[in-house]
Amino acid sequence: MNRALAETLTVLDRQRARVKWQQESCFSELSGVFSNQTSTHVHGFQGDLISDESVLDDLVMTRQVKPDPHLETSWPELGKVDMAGMGFGPCGYSNGPSFDMNYAISRTFSCPPAVAATIAKEATEVKGKESIVSENMGSAVARESSKKRKADKLHNLKVAADDDSKKTKACGEEGEESKITRPPNTNKSSTKQEPSADTSKENSKLTEVRREKISERMKYLQDLVPGCNKITGKAGMLDEIINYVQSLQRQVEFLSMKLAAVNPRLDFDIDNLFAKDVFPPCITNFPTVGISSEMANPSYLHFNPVQQVVACSGVEMGLNSPDIALRRTISAPESTILDASFLDTSCFTQIQPSPTWDVELQNVYNVAFEHGRSTTPFPSQPFAAAGSIEASHLKMEM
Amino acid sequence: MNNPHHLNPTSLKSRFTTRFLRALTKIRAQKPISSSSPTEIFRRYRRIKVAADKSMAYSVRSRRIWSRAMLWKLRSRSYRRQDPCSGRRSGKTNQAIMKKSSNENTTTRREDGVGFVEEADELRQLVPGGETMNLCNLLDETAHYIKCLTTQLFSPIGKG
Repeated sequence: MNRALAETLTVLDRQRARVKWQQESCFSELSGVFSNQTSTHVHGFQGDLISDESVLDDLVMTRQVKPDPHLETSWPELGKVDMAGMGFGPCGYSNGPSFDMNYAISRTFSCPPAVAATIAKEATEVKGKESIVSENMGSAVARESSKKRKADKLHNLKVAADDDSKKTKACGEEGEESKITRPPNTNKSSTKQEPSADTSKENSKLTEVRREKISERMKYLQDLVPGCNKITGKAGMLDEIINYVQSLQRQVEFLSMKLAAVNPRLDFDIDNLFAKDVFPPCITNFPTVGISSEMANPSYLHFNPVQQVVACSGVEMGLNSPDIALRRTISAPESTILDASFLDTSCFTQIQPSPTWDVELQNVYNVAFEHGRSTTPFPSQPFAAAGSIEASHLKMEM
Repeated sequence: MNNPHHLNPTSLKSRFTTRFLRALTKIRAQKPISSSSPTEIFRRYRRIKVAADKSMAYSVRSRRIWSRAMLWKLRSRSYRRQDPCSGRRSGKTNQAIMKKSSNENTTTRREDGVGFVEEADELRQLVPGGETMNLCNLLDETAHYIKCLTTQLFSPIGKG
């Protein structure tokens, strides 16, 4: 037990040193961060240190925090230590060494719950306004400290608390609880414990603020995602966004496959490359049209079946990917005939489908199919089926 | 020789393009494209895809949650590949963490009081690092992610 204690003491020393350094280096940044984007940064480091995302996540969200499971498992608390401590420091620049430190530290299993208390205070300072959470944490801390009390740990806690208490805004709850269990050396203001009525009012205020932010962002996304002006209602919007992101990701995959199969001339210099930006090369017309046809679909009733077809054709692409890439790239020269109509449509994702291109599209699919049959021995059934289904769907909608 | 279309050299597009170009030339230098067996092409496709992701994430640096998550994923993957022992260790801890986080996520549904849980979860799976964000930040990150994806697609490297 003593060895464990010594270990934790060294951990605390390291922690303290780190926190002090971070305070010196980043304090102004910190104040800026906490005033504007508290959740962003904390969540950011969660994205980094996915080690204990869920734990700190529970802390920071207005959810029912379960203190008891957290009490039992000691090392997530220690993870919390790392989370909050590391999070305020370099603000995400150099993450390499920090990971090792985190993993190293998180392996010391004997976690002083007092340390967790300190860091709980730090963490709750981040979401100073979410009093529910901090209240729960306060009770958790109190329970922890009342369960296991060691004089040395308390001493360290005091010192650490002195360091950190200057930053804590919502330390009132902790101060109130900790007064019971710790000597009153902590220079915290003893605020009263917030009654539940206030917390519910605050909760509703918070949700209102949240709703406003969310609707703001949805509006911005509406501008980004093409064809979203007609959709009202957040659920439909979200579905649109999901489809759009999926299609973009698939497009990127497909085009990187194309790059793998074909050998484009990479000896451009940057100026030429950017000059070509205005007129994208015709080779890419075919795939972008093929995929953006779903996006620009005016009748969203048929959107889902088409999307499913795209999905299955995407999956099949994964299976027969090189084959299909070859086929499509071989068919690309064929599509040069159709350049004139495609050039307009393929440059932009907002497409006004011209009445003729569905027929041409079907032609191109057929051409691709023919080429596939002639050049490769692979079974082209799935691709052809998907292609023809897609084409027929499009025809229906036109 | 004033190029009217010359873009700002520090813009996201130019950063991504230069990085990706560099990565592509490296990949091509390693294996000539004359070998056209499907497995070779598939392997090259995977590397190009990783290179695209990497160059995009590095162009954005750590300014965004999704880029940080992506960089973390890429790094952990490369660490695991380099050193199988450390991979095993980190794999074990990762599994424990992931299992725990998945349990907790299933038991405590993310209720922000706005009520788009299913779609939000789906979106979270799409955007890298999305599991750790509340809806507000998720929408932010999605917007930036979409912007970067379109940059990737419409970059002049023959991608668009």
